[in-house]
Amino acid sequence: MAHPPENDEDEGGRGVSRRTFLKTAGVGAAASSLAGVAIPAAGATVLGPGAVPLTLKVNGAARTVNVEPRVTLLRALRNHLDLTGAKEICDRGACGGCTVLLDGEPIASCLMLAADAEGHEITTVEGLGTPDAMSPVQAAFVEADALQCGFCTPGFVVSSTALLRKNANPSLEEVKDGLAGNICRCGTYSRVFEAVQKAAKASARPAARRG
Amino acid sequence: MAQEQKPPEAPTVTYTVKAGHASNPQMMEVHAAQGDLKPWDLDSKLRVVKGRHPRLDGRFKVTGRAKYTYDINLPGMLWGKMVRSAVPAGQILKIDTSKAEALPGVKAVWTSDARAVRFAGQDVAAVAAVSPEVAEDAARLIQVTYDEAPFVTDLEKAMADDAPLVYEADKVPAPKDVPHKGNVVGPKPPGRGGSRGDVEKGFADAAVTVQATYSVPTHTHSPLETHGVVAKWDGDQLTVWASTQGVFTVRDGMAEALGIDRKNVNVITEHMGGGFGSKLAPSASGTAFAVVACKLAKQAGAPVKLMLDRHEEHLCTGNAPSALMTVKIGAARDGTFTALHYRSFGSAGIAGGAGTGGPAGSLHGKNPNLKIEEHDVFTNAGPAAPLRAPGHPQGAFALESAVDEMADRLGLDPLEVRRKNEASPVRLIQYDVGAKAIGWERRNKKPGEGTGPRKRGIGMANGNWYVIARGSGVGAEVRIHRDGSIEYFSGAQDLGTGFRTAMAMVVAEELGVRTTDVKPNVGDSRWPEGPGSGGSNTTNSVAPAVRLAAHDARMKLFAVAAPMLGAKAEDLDAADGKIFVAASPGKSVAFKLAAAKMPGETIVAVAERKKQFETYRQDLAGCQFAEVEVDTQTGQVRVLKVVAVNDCGFPINMLTTESQIIGAMIQGVSWALFENRVLDRNVGTMVNPNLESYKVLLSKDMFEAVPIVTEIANAGNNTSAAGIGEPCIVPTLGAVANAVFNATGARVRTLPITPDRVLAALAEARRS
Repeated sequence: MAHPPENDEDEGGRGVSRRTFLKTAGVGAAASSLAGVAIPAAGATVLGPGAVPLTLKVNGAARTVNVEPRVTLLRALRNHLDLTGAKEICDRGACGGCTVLLDGEPIASCLMLAADAEGHEITTVEGLGTPDAMSPVQAAFVEADALQCGFCTPGFVVSSTALLRKNANPSLEEVKDGLAGNICRCGTYSRVFEAVQKAAKASARPAARRG
Repeated sequence: MAQEQKPPEAPTVTYTVKAGHASNPQMMEVHAAQGDLKPWDLDSKLRVVKGRHPRLDGRFKVTGRAKYTYDINLPGMLWGKMVRSAVPAGQILKIDTSKAEALPGVKAVWTSDARAVRFAGQDVAAVAAVSPEVAEDAARLIQVTYDEAPFVTDLEKAMADDAPLVYEADKVPAPKDVPHKGNVVGPKPPGRGGSRGDVEKGFADAAVTVQATYSVPTHTHSPLETHGVVAKWDGDQLTVWASTQGVFTVRDGMAEALGIDRKNVNVITEHMGGGFGSKLAPSASGTAFAVVACKLAKQAGAPVKLMLDRHEEHLCTGNAPSALMTVKIGAARDGTFTALHYRSFGSAGIAGGAGTGGPAGSLHGKNPNLKIEEHDVFTNAGPAAPLRAPGHPQGAFALESAVDEMADRLGLDPLEVRRKNEASPVRLIQYDVGAKAIGWERRNKKPGEGTGPRKRGIGMANGNWYVIARGSGVGAEVRIHRDGSIEYFSGAQDLGTGFRTAMAMVVAEELGVRTTDVKPNVGDSRWPEGPGSGGSNTTNSVAPAVRLAAHDARMKLFAVAAPMLGAKAEDLDAADGKIFVAASPGKSVAFKLAAAKMPGETIVAVAERKKQFETYRQDLAGCQFAEVEVDTQTGQVRVLKVVAVNDCGFPINMLTTESQIIGAMIQGVSWALFENRVLDRNVGTMVNPNLESYKVLLSKDMFEAVPIVTEIANAGNNTSAAGIGEPCIVPTLGAVANAVFNATGARVRTLPITPDRVLAALAEARRS
């Protein structure tokens, strides 16, 4: 299969996709052949091609998964650890639906290989709160009705949490900037902004502060 | 000869209802079916309904615990993946699945029997494999050989006499009584509203006539959860988790396609990630993926999850047809319309149903002369599906732009022109409310009069929708348990509208408890039948059944409580978790104590919805006002504020009703400024089948959204509720377009209103 990488899924569903290429390249961690053939760099560890055991630190616990090296962090979380809060919506980093925290930073988990997440602290929306003990951000989302179908909501909740950790009292424009990578199709943006600012206020009160 | 038998009139009960808006109430008699309840009206003292309640499923959704179809992981589950036609027209000569079948981990393969290809994205083959990655590999190994044929993807090119035919003359899917020529079907008989009077005479009588043509591209629904199912067989029992707007449609569709009984199919939709009309079919408009998934599961002897990817979602699950609309209006000098001719062509791809004449048929009801002509034009593109008020936002954009052009020509206030021709008392109220909220007096009296490169403007537009409800075959069940806990059951699905919470509020109202005391159970075909969620009909179809069931449960519990209070059951009332004697509220018993005395373990109340009866208005009125800022140097449009004034009868839950209106404004602005499905006319495939170049509104584009609900006691059913999902998106596009005109004095007649179009319109305005 020697299709050039521009022969993308989007141009007719034929040939090797850019994502497949990316994943293939990821096998060698440093491959960059235009022909889509993985050539490991000198000294690189080659994983696979079959399933390999990986240890992921998710929501504070070490979890072992047995996945092909091309499996993304998102799919490892969803399909191997049944942490289905993060969603695969666009599968190319355009929508924010798969946002998780990696060492506290929001990332698109559809664009990272599970193998590359080893050794990092991963926090998913499930790790931020539970239905009976919601985080201030989660509680504010419910109160402000900052969700409709709710499919984008985990991504918004994680992005909002990351924003407030960096900026405890964001202006409306700063909230918009912080959520610029998240798509909502039902149209909840204005209520999400309201929720984030409510959560900021709630967190400012010492009694409501949570870890 | 036997005497003709008239069907017996069903017995009715007559209620006098205080209907309409509080500022202008109207007493009306309604004839409800025997056993139905008096509708809530302007005199009803409602404790829960019409209040604001956060959605009951919110805490599961914000913590990632809500399980959507896409989140269902079953032991031993396989992953399905489909192969779609890469060419837009021709014949499939060969589907070679041998390499896919040989791939380790592939457990089942399906190929389509259909050979004719009419759009790029049609079902060709499918696989089920042990992982999504292996399934994707296998799908790529399937080799399809085509005999390609000429095709056409552009609306206007498809209308040409020499255009390639999407359907052979004998295969055109059009009604027999509608003319068709080449790819064009129509004019179709006018839909709701229809034609009236004599437009020729009306135009002859007009002092001023304006005519213009407007166009809107195809939009895709782009729900964030793609279409998909998980199919699982247990012997002859089939369970399907489906991301659907019609639990029972999927049940019936799978039963029919697979030749099994409906009773052996169970469909579950606990949560679903958006549909907007695309998820009303058993599978979807341009694919049979759900049936394929059931077949793969049967073949493999294992459950199969088959979710479409984002690319497929754009191609074959429906879209809103493109539209090319010519509007001609005749008016007297004072703005009174004398005639309106509305003529549209639109393409629903390989399907019909591209009409946009609804608003023309319903708005400006005082106009005496109206002619509507709609045409469908086939193109080699995926079939359309209903999308949030099908054809209405598009039609209202054209119509309301033309009304604005007429006002400008006459030198009149566009709102005054609308008042002159308005037949709805509800919209007359809304005009005042909306004008005040946006500050209508701030608009440019002379369009484009602002100074500086960034110009602001305010515009408005009308929209319409209808009261659509299923009046029979809809049920609900309410249970009160001995421990005092309460739950209700409705098989209908919650798309994210807040349906499950609204129904719990109806139960809470009847039983005098808190909404959080009521456990909702929705989205399962084992529970009482509900409608597919189309036409904004879910709440007004199901709520009356839920109220009847709750009322029945209430009377059963009152029978238990009556001896405890030394009163008759019919003299009791319930509120704040207590049952009390209505005439002396001090005599009360706690709800839980009464429940503990019930004869069995559970009070079960099942009810069927009764027929729809007379409504205050059969149309749902709306108008919206937009304020924009246009950078006349770059052509960039920013929407600053939108005020939506919409009628939905009685809103059951004001909080989620407002959320739906905000959502519609956002989707409407997104269509007005950004969304555009682009097909490559040379190869017939979609150029932007993703979420970054199929542009949708993002947080940085967000404006101040002001939802205003016009509460109307609409009768029609025992809750007076109508619908909101669709009516609130109808006016938005026109309001934005008219605001751009007010800001610049330049008219953009083609959506989306992109910078290049704004600059071109400004250049044209300078020339003329």
